[in-house]
Amino acid sequence: MNEMISTLVFYVLAMVILGTALGVVMSRNLVHSALLMTACFIGVGILFFYLDADFLGAMEFMLYSGGVAILVVMGVMLTKRHDGPPGNPFNNNTILALGGAGLFVLVMIGVVISTPAPAGGYVSPDTVNELADMMLNKYILPFEIAATLLLAALVGAIILAKGDGEA
Amino acid sequence: MSIGLGHCLLLAAMLFSIGLYGALAKRNIIAILMGIELMLNAVNINFVAFNRFTVVSDLTGQLMTVFAITVGVAEVAIGVALAYRIYNDRLTINVDELDNMKG
Repeated sequence: MNEMISTLVFYVLAMVILGTALGVVMSRNLVHSALLMTACFIGVGILFFYLDADFLGAMEFMLYSGGVAILVVMGVMLTKRHDGPPGNPFNNNTILALGGAGLFVLVMIGVVISTPAPAGGYVSPDTVNELADMMLNKYILPFEIAATLLLAALVGAIILAKGDGEA
Repeated sequence: MSIGLGHCLLLAAMLFSIGLYGALAKRNIIAILMGIELMLNAVNINFVAFNRFTVVSDLTGQLMTVFAITVGVAEVAIGVALAYRIYNDRLTINVDELDNMKG
């Protein structure tokens, strides 16, 4: 009974994620795309909770469905030319893109189905504690590099948005 | 039938291909950025699923996801700043019209 509910939850989550992702791509209005993208990120965050990654789920909610969604909506507003809703047109490569994406998903389905699933699994009792421990001991160098990357991105975004000679 | 690694990998593959289609078939830079974000999320799902369902003894996969999220957020900030800059200079963010460097 418990397992059935768990399976049902996964399929509902998968439908929400894939449905909203399709909506992002197919929507005619760019603002609708941005809002559906937020819903998709919320679905992915709940999937992280489902997979026992609670810290990552919280991070997904805060960064993606909070920060990235706001950034994208602001980008849509700042780059709108006409009155009326901002459009979201396709280019001339639609068939080619559809073929490439379809080929990719077919190959991936084949690979996943033909590979035997590994046994085992790992669930941490306290993800925050363990992640912090790894980040500040074994993985301290990537942590510092990520900090530098964030600083560079911050300065770069400010300079890009200001333009040259406007400081 | 309980949910295993294969289900998560299939979901991530479908999400990735939807994002790939969005990134390849759109005209607007912001829409292309949205497609790239979907692809990044699919990769994150893969990391977490491998950490959850294969034989590991620590949270390396989840830690990699933390770094992937960091890079993804920095990327979207730079991308939106670039789109704003291009719009300021040329009054368009249609990628089909941005072909100055075409040989």
